[in-house]
Amino acid sequence: MTAIATSEAPVAVRPAKARGPAAELVVRLFRDKPLGALGGVVFLIFLVCGLLAPILAPHGINETDLHHRLEAPSLAFPLGTDHLGRDVFSRILIGAQVSMIVAMAAASLATVISLLIGLLAGYFGGRFDMITQRFVDAWMTFPDLVLLIVVISVVGPGIPQIIGVLALLYGIAGSRIVRSAVISVRGNMHVTAARAMGAGPVHILWRHILPGVMPVAIVLWTTRIGAVILAEAGLSFLGLGVPPPAPTWGGMLSGAGRTYMYLGPWLALAPGLCLAVVVYGVNVLGDALRDLLDARMRGAR
Amino acid sequence: MGEYVARRLLALIPTLFFASLIVFLAIRLIPGDVIDLMLAQNDVASSLDREAIESALGLDRPIFEQYFRWIGSALQGDLGRSLWQNTPVTEQLLDRLPITFELGLLALIVSISIAIPIGIYSAVKQDTAGDYVARSFSLVMLAVPSFWLGTLVMVFPSVWWRWSPELEFTPFFEDPLRNLGHMLPPAILLGLALSAITMRMTRTMMLEVLRQDYIRTARAKGLPESLVVVRHALRNSLIPVVTLIGLQAPLLIGGAVILEQIFAVPGMGQLLLEAVSQRDYPVVSGVFLIIGIGVLLINLAVDLSYGFLDPRVRQQ
Amino acid sequence: MINMVPVRAIALLCLAVLASLVFGACSRSAGSAVPAPAPNEAPQYGGELNVGSIYVTLSALSWDPADWTWKSNHDAGSVRELLFAADLGTARRNGGPNAFTADVFIPEDALRGELAESWEWEDPLTLVVHLRHGVMFPDKPGVMKSREFVADDVLFTFDYIQKSPKRIKSYLDFIERIEARDDHTVVFHFSKFNTEWPYRIGYGYYTSILPREMAKVEQSDWRTVTGTGPFSLDRYVSGNVQSFARNPDYWDSETLAGKDHQLPFVDRVTYRIIKDEATYLTALRTGKLDILEAIRWINVDQLKKSTPELRWNRWLAPQGMFIALRTDQKPFDDVRIRRALNIAVNKQEIVSLYYGGHAEMMAFPQHPDFGPYFQTLENMPASVRELFVYDPDKARRLLAEAGLPEGFEITVQVCSCTSDHMDLLPLITRYWEQIGVRVKIQPMEYASFLSAMTTKTHAAGYMLNTGVVSPTSTLRKNFQTDQLWNPAMVSDPDLDARLDRMFETRDEAERVTLARDLTLEMLDAAPYVWLPTPYGHTAWWPWVKNYGGELRAGAVRPGPIYARVWIDQEMKRELGFR
Repeated sequence: MTAIATSEAPVAVRPAKARGPAAELVVRLFRDKPLGALGGVVFLIFLVCGLLAPILAPHGINETDLHHRLEAPSLAFPLGTDHLGRDVFSRILIGAQVSMIVAMAAASLATVISLLIGLLAGYFGGRFDMITQRFVDAWMTFPDLVLLIVVISVVGPGIPQIIGVLALLYGIAGSRIVRSAVISVRGNMHVTAARAMGAGPVHILWRHILPGVMPVAIVLWTTRIGAVILAEAGLSFLGLGVPPPAPTWGGMLSGAGRTYMYLGPWLALAPGLCLAVVVYGVNVLGDALRDLLDARMRGAR
Repeated sequence: MGEYVARRLLALIPTLFFASLIVFLAIRLIPGDVIDLMLAQNDVASSLDREAIESALGLDRPIFEQYFRWIGSALQGDLGRSLWQNTPVTEQLLDRLPITFELGLLALIVSISIAIPIGIYSAVKQDTAGDYVARSFSLVMLAVPSFWLGTLVMVFPSVWWRWSPELEFTPFFEDPLRNLGHMLPPAILLGLALSAITMRMTRTMMLEVLRQDYIRTARAKGLPESLVVVRHALRNSLIPVVTLIGLQAPLLIGGAVILEQIFAVPGMGQLLLEAVSQRDYPVVSGVFLIIGIGVLLINLAVDLSYGFLDPRVRQQ
Repeated sequence: MINMVPVRAIALLCLAVLASLVFGACSRSAGSAVPAPAPNEAPQYGGELNVGSIYVTLSALSWDPADWTWKSNHDAGSVRELLFAADLGTARRNGGPNAFTADVFIPEDALRGELAESWEWEDPLTLVVHLRHGVMFPDKPGVMKSREFVADDVLFTFDYIQKSPKRIKSYLDFIERIEARDDHTVVFHFSKFNTEWPYRIGYGYYTSILPREMAKVEQSDWRTVTGTGPFSLDRYVSGNVQSFARNPDYWDSETLAGKDHQLPFVDRVTYRIIKDEATYLTALRTGKLDILEAIRWINVDQLKKSTPELRWNRWLAPQGMFIALRTDQKPFDDVRIRRALNIAVNKQEIVSLYYGGHAEMMAFPQHPDFGPYFQTLENMPASVRELFVYDPDKARRLLAEAGLPEGFEITVQVCSCTSDHMDLLPLITRYWEQIGVRVKIQPMEYASFLSAMTTKTHAAGYMLNTGVVSPTSTLRKNFQTDQLWNPAMVSDPDLDARLDRMFETRDEAERVTLARDLTLEMLDAAPYVWLPTPYGHTAWWPWVKNYGGELRAGAVRPGPIYARVWIDQEMKRELGFR
């Protein structure tokens, strides 16, 4: 008895630190994955700029002025003017708003769709799972852009349509990943215990499975943002993006940016850099989160 | 094994059926039908006979009848004729598919040649500066839109040095050098973008492998690090490669629409884009069907090969 | 401690080498003096002509004339021939008056017989056409053996296209029947006179002459395309290239430097198909294209700087650009509203600042190439001229007069495929905002856009380009009731009757007067917001000789032009290209 007693040193009971799991994650992010933290910060900065764009922008998005076409950056126009004389800086700021809205709305909606499909298919299994998998298979057979072209042609160009279509595309594709995560969490001890205690499926999904799958969903969400921004740029290139005069970075880059490459390189440089920086930042954040959460998930087993 | 393959092949059929039906219906939902477009092509005149064209093209039948006719002849290898050019769809697909496939294959080769070495290096030197640089590089390639890089590659050399990539397609076996001069630039760009994914996969794979017990044993035995890495790296790097092929199968068959446009590669992606914009229904259906069959077959092959490559899967 | 000096020196040296390479490359393009083209140089045979045509972004639409596509002449153009063609001897480069950049119309004095040698009217409704002798169809394996072209081929062609379910009924409805009087005489019996007969029978979109052996082959297969023309189609990669080889037994010849030379000169003509603007400009810069026929004004300065050796031709686009207003909907049935919308747009600014001067205020419905049919703006009545002068106050007054002083909302549909429109529309939106008109821009994808018009379900505002075709067709197409390309929904039975009468008028002077009156009336009524017409540019390398930027010698038909081009291969080598 004494042997056991002495091998266990008395542990003073300390009150748990008043940090929730989210705050804990953020601290670990900054401490262990500085690059990922930087990506997150960059993303937040652009997000804030996008939200405050109407206040910050000195001009509107369609203040054409043919007397000031294609002017190089100056004090009056910090990023120059485009081929219709509009202030590029204002368009970039409001473009941030549009791009961010489209990206976040589509990514969020996509994640919700992935969760819905993944949770239901992964948990219930059986025939429902099989049918869903056939459908997801069929969907994922086709290259992204190819599907987008057909669907956008059907519903027409416009912000809500683009959000919807991109959300659907990435949502269905992401459901696979959620489903695998659900299957692995499903076998957990506390899930089995809950089921043994007679808990209903909704309760189990909500209290036990969903939290276990959240890390995957978070990582999915961050990578989807980057993918949506790039997809919108590709659609703009093909003429199926957000209609003018609403500015998006992708639209500015693929339209006036390409046409006026010589006469006005700043037309491409500004949106191009913003786009690349945000996509890069958000991907690096996603990577860092995956590394952190993955390890914790594994440890929790 | 044979039973497994047969079962998987059978499972393909409902998927294909489902997908082709959806596509068949979807393209007819797109506003603006092909007859309108044909009428509008003609300058003078208002008196084209709409009914005559419709019946000549077989578009006056009820939609499900059209679908079953199409499926019926598709099973016999006849995918119908283009509504505009009246050429057999199969012929158009056979013209374009090898081109897209070649582009995809070259891109995969490029991506693998870059990603595997970097992935292994990244795993071995985990969390060092080298790791960060390597990962950042591939993420940067991912973050810059392909049409932009493509434009830079196409335009600036032409202004500075009066050089541009080849813009005319020659089949590989007719003139390999000319063919590569045309296909390599877009393939390299595509490969660079793809390398981000492969590299990450390789790195994860290698990290797992390096952690495992038998590696520690090998190290404890005193085997040189390089031998440990090489022997296990080579064996295990095939898995991300094969996974990548599976993931990028749509690309191999369906094409990279944007790069095809910039580098004047007459591939499946461009065919589809044109067909959709001209409402050439048989061509669109045909393209989707071929993409579907091709991708599903490639995925089947990928799944089967896991059995050989990954001992853990074999045990299941 | 590493001695830093050599390292720094080496770095600087490398930088210097790199810089000089870059600058050297940049400056290589300037300063290579290219001699001006000598008139009537003796031509050389051989070489290959690579063309980025006006339709450089479009693949072949169809090889079969029975499909009645507008592009058949162009796709198969250098292979097949028609009864009439433009007389390139009267081109500007030869001192004549004709630019041959119009998309269809050829004035009668610029016409020559191609497969027809001569023609005359036997009586007011009977046209006798004498065909050329000794014109041969070449051997085409799987189709036919070489033989002489005869009248039966003309009969077969017309019969074949008229039997197609896709035919345009009203195109040849004025022809009652056609007969072959002998092997080289074809007689057209008219049921009524139609002023466009030379265009429709002779050099139009649909009537390229086919051999009667075509009845037995698969016409939609490019491998069966054959004709009497200067080239034959021997290579086709869909979406990428169409290549034509020289026909060594071609019948036509051209007199250059005092001697008669058999055509064509080049061994091969290749159409390249390149969808992306940046890419086809690149192809021109690097010599992969010898001719690029349609370059937007935005790219001209930059191209001239990067490639100063190029030769240029500027042409006024044979099209009208406008925003159609649905005159069958309120409030656009009120002419004051339509005039107000015209007057509120600063068209001067658009011409001088947006197009940088590369545009004309008014070239539609009549185009300057249409000779007597065209009137300049200065010669038009004040009420028409008013529509082209920017006056937002006047516009607001007109709106108030019409009962809408607060302005109104309008949806304007535009095709996302036309980048010029996508740029201009936000500009016009700004102008209209000043008078209280709020625009909702609705971009549409190509097919949905066109379909909206052909099904007459388009919005109140519809931004469009329309080709001018001919002085009479342009009026009918745009303003006759039920025409497909009448997006303003103009419907006036009196106008319709006058249009029909114009088509049947034989006397040129009378027809010109009718057309002019109708044009003035339509301009005044402003069913469209008339917009300036831009200039297009054609550029070619100086080794392309006997060419002055001509674009068409028939309805979208460049074949005869390419047949007369010759390549100065030595000059090409000297300039550093193979």
